[in-house]
Amino acid sequence: MTLDITNLRAGYGKTEILHDVSVRNVEPATFVGLIGPNASGKSTLFKTIAGLLKPTAGHITIGGEDITHLRRKDRAQRVAYMPQAYGCNALLTVFESVLLALKQTTGWRVNSDNLDRVSETLSALGLSHLANRGIADLSGGQAQMIAVAQTIVRAPEVILLDEPTSALDLHHQLSIMTSIRNEMDRKKPVIIAALHDLNLAAKFCDRLILLREGVILADGQPGEILALPEIGETYRVKADLERTSKGALYVDARLA
Amino acid sequence: MSVDVNAIEMRQSYASQTARRYAMIAIVTGLLALSFFFDVATGPGNYPLSTVFEVFADPMSHGVRLKVIVWDYRLPVAVTAVLVGALLAVAGAQMQTILNNPLAEPFTLGVSAAASFGASLAIVLGISIIPAVGHLLVTANAFVFALATCGFILFATRLKGVGSETMILFGIAVFFTFSALLALMQYMASEDQIARIVFWMMGSLSRASWEKIGLGTVLLCIAIPFSLYRTWPMTALRMGEATAESMGVDVARLRVEMLICVSLLAATAVSFVGTVGFVGLVGPHIARLLVGEDQRYFVPLSALVGALVLSLTSLISKSITPGVIYPIGIITSLIGVPVFVSIILSTRRERLS
Repeated sequence: MTLDITNLRAGYGKTEILHDVSVRNVEPATFVGLIGPNASGKSTLFKTIAGLLKPTAGHITIGGEDITHLRRKDRAQRVAYMPQAYGCNALLTVFESVLLALKQTTGWRVNSDNLDRVSETLSALGLSHLANRGIADLSGGQAQMIAVAQTIVRAPEVILLDEPTSALDLHHQLSIMTSIRNEMDRKKPVIIAALHDLNLAAKFCDRLILLREGVILADGQPGEILALPEIGETYRVKADLERTSKGALYVDARLA
Repeated sequence: MSVDVNAIEMRQSYASQTARRYAMIAIVTGLLALSFFFDVATGPGNYPLSTVFEVFADPMSHGVRLKVIVWDYRLPVAVTAVLVGALLAVAGAQMQTILNNPLAEPFTLGVSAAASFGASLAIVLGISIIPAVGHLLVTANAFVFALATCGFILFATRLKGVGSETMILFGIAVFFTFSALLALMQYMASEDQIARIVFWMMGSLSRASWEKIGLGTVLLCIAIPFSLYRTWPMTALRMGEATAESMGVDVARLRVEMLICVSLLAATAVSFVGTVGFVGLVGPHIARLLVGEDQRYFVPLSALVGALVLSLTSLISKSITPGVIYPIGIITSLIGVPVFVSIILSTRRERLS
């Protein structure tokens, strides 16, 4: 289902963070990279789409249906949001923690289908070896991958990932992004991920949105967006977009 | 395909984990039944086990005297121990989850101290908060003050910028305030009244009665399904507030609902038996070590462990010196605390190695 955001305004108390944000026509099975410096409003945009923050104006629709008035639980079934990683000391296994993410919207009893979904998700993300580990004993990177699993196990129409790779080493960055893309190809959700690494964004995203101070500066194909002079201005660096000999995009950034 | 093998393995180990958890619940239930029976069988009059068992099955089988001893004296005490243990442990377990603090329980949050003050107010000044409660004056006052303190905690959690550590600090503030007020009451009290206050505060099961048991059972019968209905959101809350919210849990509302439920449990338990610290702490902690924090197993097992601990305490309080029943508040702290600390230390060692 297509996601549309129209003239969205939101903030905390009297401080408006998002000023008239519109994102048109995000098709299913599109991987959108949300880029922009710290405090540009990325997390606020996610919270507003997920329904944790009430917009002061504007609409969010999925397949033409306005979701801003849905009950929180119903909304969570359609839009899954992964907040930035936090530590947690609960005595739960990885398997249980993914199961509980699924059970928030699927009735009280655990049935065979629930268990299949959890095992499939852990296998798809290459995490099955962690299934019986306690979540309090995981490394930061492992905890982040479990958070991704908690998000995609619900098979939502829209997946919002707030910096899914921030705690991961290079291997795991590539592996988690590849797994997310494979999952997208299978289930066709809209995926929006806030990313700090522009090269990772160039490699995996179909579309990039550049956000600065609560305003969308640019929205389009990675090759087009990363070549804009606004990239350098927004991040306060000198940035040149180059193409490697194998044809991949590469952002060469230096301090301005 | 290796993926399928993994999936089958994961499901199998989840199934065996679930079976282990049911086994734990069954074992603790068995131990509780044993402890309960020995609690009824033990007392100043040394009757053989078989006799007590027969009176248990048929009240009049050994005459009126034994019927009165077993059914009117020992059974209410034994049932109250089980009931109050369960109430305190469930209250502690839920408070720990809601406030995200392993130290939260009715005692540490000042609920017991408030109840003590309420009781002393009734003992010394004969002041009743609820009119026309008659012989339940002390209990009713303790209940009102305990509930008011829970209300204060509820209010405090709604304030912005109040973290889980701050909550415990609030509890300590409440504790000291009521301790001071309690001291004031004792200063104003006659010798006889001081004795009654001190005895009340030590925690005793001898105030048991069938009407209190009835009330407590009704509350527990409401609270357990109420909690079980919210097990998935409560388990999600253990992942942290932000994560729970992102999963669609209305955390603010969940906190208020659970705190109201738990307040009733804590206030009831404390007003029935006086100050019994530690059961609200140890029940949930042992349950957590045995079955983890999936609330579907954690909440019922907390109730069972709490009940077992207080039932054993009741048994021990009668067994130390024949003919003397020590106040349970003293026993839980003197014997329970070292046992508890050793459990914590031994599991810590296991986790480190």
